[in-house]
Amino acid sequence: MISVKNLKKNFGNLEVLKGITCEIQKGEKVAVIGPSGSGKSTFLRCLNMLETPTGGEVWFDGKLLTDVDASLHAELTNKKAIKKFNNQYKLNIDIARKKLGMVFQHFNLFNNLTILNNITLAPIAMAKIQRKQTKKLNALKRKFDAAKTESQKNKLNEKAKHLYGTDLSTYEMMPILSDSKIKLDATEKAMALLERIGLSSKANVYPSTISGGQKQRVAIIRALAMDPEVLLFDEPTSALDIEMVQEVLSLITELADDGMTMIVVTHEMGFAKEVSTRVLFMDDGKIVADDTPNEIFTQPKDERLKSFLSKVLH
Amino acid sequence: MIQDIIKILSNGELVGYILKGTVGTLIVTACSALMGLVLGFIVAIVKIAAENNKYMKIPAFICNIYTTVIRGTPVALQLFILVFAVFAIPGFKPYAAIITFGINSGAYVSENIRAGIMSVDKGQLEAGRALGLTWFQTMIKIILPQAIKNIIPAIGNEMIALLKETSIISWVGATPGTLTFDLNAAANTIYHSIPNYIASGILVGCCYLVIVYIMVYVVKYLERRMRQSDKR
Repeated sequence: MISVKNLKKNFGNLEVLKGITCEIQKGEKVAVIGPSGSGKSTFLRCLNMLETPTGGEVWFDGKLLTDVDASLHAELTNKKAIKKFNNQYKLNIDIARKKLGMVFQHFNLFNNLTILNNITLAPIAMAKIQRKQTKKLNALKRKFDAAKTESQKNKLNEKAKHLYGTDLSTYEMMPILSDSKIKLDATEKAMALLERIGLSSKANVYPSTISGGQKQRVAIIRALAMDPEVLLFDEPTSALDIEMVQEVLSLITELADDGMTMIVVTHEMGFAKEVSTRVLFMDDGKIVADDTPNEIFTQPKDERLKSFLSKVLH
Repeated sequence: MIQDIIKILSNGELVGYILKGTVGTLIVTACSALMGLVLGFIVAIVKIAAENNKYMKIPAFICNIYTTVIRGTPVALQLFILVFAVFAIPGFKPYAAIITFGINSGAYVSENIRAGIMSVDKGQLEAGRALGLTWFQTMIKIILPQAIKNIIPAIGNEMIALLKETSIISWVGATPGTLTFDLNAAANTIYHSIPNYIASGILVGCCYLVIVYIMVYVVKYLERRMRQSDKR
C-alpha cells in the first residue's frame, strides 16, 4: 500500500534521513521506535509530504507522491522521459492526503472552530469538490447521450477518462447535493464519531476548553471523518499527562482492532509490543531493525537496538 | 489667544473650513486606508505563499522591493514624486495624493498582516494541509481568523499614523473645495483671516485628537470582541 524507496531528507547540511526503504501492506500496524533525533517523525511527515523529501520516492496505492527520483529508474535518461513518468504516476498531494490521515503530537485542533466544526470542515470541503466534479461528469454524460455519431461519443468518453478516470458508457448520473445536505451529512457523521468517543456533549465548545486527552481523541476522529486508508500517528501521547495517555491509547488500539492500517511513531514500548504487528527501529536516519514486535523485544539482534531497549525498558 | 479662538468659532465661514477640513481628512484617510489594506493583504499573502511555492518567488521578490523602497523613503518624497511626476495629470492631484498614501500604508500594513499570520502556530497550517485542504483554503478558514486578533491592534496603530500623515497633503496644494482640503489646510486657510497660528492650530489639533480617540475606541472594541470568541 505504501512503498518507500531510498527516502532521503536533508535540512541544510544536516542529513536526517539517509535512505529509507520499506513496504507497508494494508492492515499492518507499524510502530516506529528509536532514540530522539533518529528521524522517526521526519520519516512519518515525509509520507504525506508535510516535509518534502530531498531524494527517493514514496508510492501510495500505485501512485507517486514525491517527484520521481531519476536515480531509481535506469530507463529514465532524459528530462522528457522524467516528465512523462511524473505525469503518468504522480498524484495530486491534496487528494492523497485525504486518504492519509494524520494525528499530531500537539493535537493541532483548529482553535477558531468548535469541536464539531473541526471535524466537519475537511469533509464538507471535500464533498463540495466532489460535487463540482459530479456536475461536470453529469454534463459530459448528457452530451454523451445526446451525441449522434460514434466518433463524438468516443471523443467525450476519452475526455472523461482522461480527466476523471470514468467510463461514460457505464456512468450513471449522480444527484447534485445541496450545501445544506452536505453539511447535514457531515454533521451526522461527526456526531456519530463523537458519540463513539463519548464526547458528543462537547460538540459546540472550543478546543481550549477540553483536556489534552480529549483533544487528541477529537484529533483522531477528525482524521477518521475523512475515511482514510492509513492513519499516521506522530507521537500521539507524548504531549499528554500520564493519566490521559491510556484513553488515547485505547482509542488507537480500538481502531487497530477494527483493521485500520496505521503507522505510529511512539515512545510507548508497551503499546508497540502489544498492538503493533511490526516494529521499525530507527537510528541515525536509517531503519536498523524491521521485525515483529516479538523478535524486536525478546530477541533483539542489533547492538544499537539492544542498548536502546535497555534504556527504555528499565 | 482665547479671543482668537472665540473669533474663529463665531465666524461661520471659518468653522465651515474646519468642518470641510475634517471631512477631507476623513475621506483621504478612508480611501487610502482601504487601498492600503487591500494592497497590504495581497503583498502579505504573496510573501507567505512564496515560502513553499516556487511560482510565487518572483512576485514575492517584487513585493520585497516594494516594501523596502516604500518603508525606506520619506512619505513626503513619495508624495512629491507621485503628484508632480508620475501622475502629473491636470485635476488628478487629489487622487494621486490618495494613491500615494494608499501605497505607503500598504507597505506597513503588509508587514503587520504578515507578522500576524506568522504568529499563528505552524501546526494549524499543517493540520489543515494534512486533512487535504489546499494552502489557500487553510489560510482563509483557519489561519486568517486566528491571525486577525494579532493583526487588528497593529493595523489600528497604522491607521492612526496614516490619519496624521495625510496632513502633509497641503504641501502639494490644497484649496477650499478640493478633495485634498484637509484639517491642516484648513488651519492654513484660517491663518489668512485671523493671523494667529496657535489659535487655529489648537482647534485643528483638537479635531485630530477627537478622530484619533474614536479610532482607538473602535480598535479596542474590535479587540475585545475577538478575544471573546476564543475564550468561550
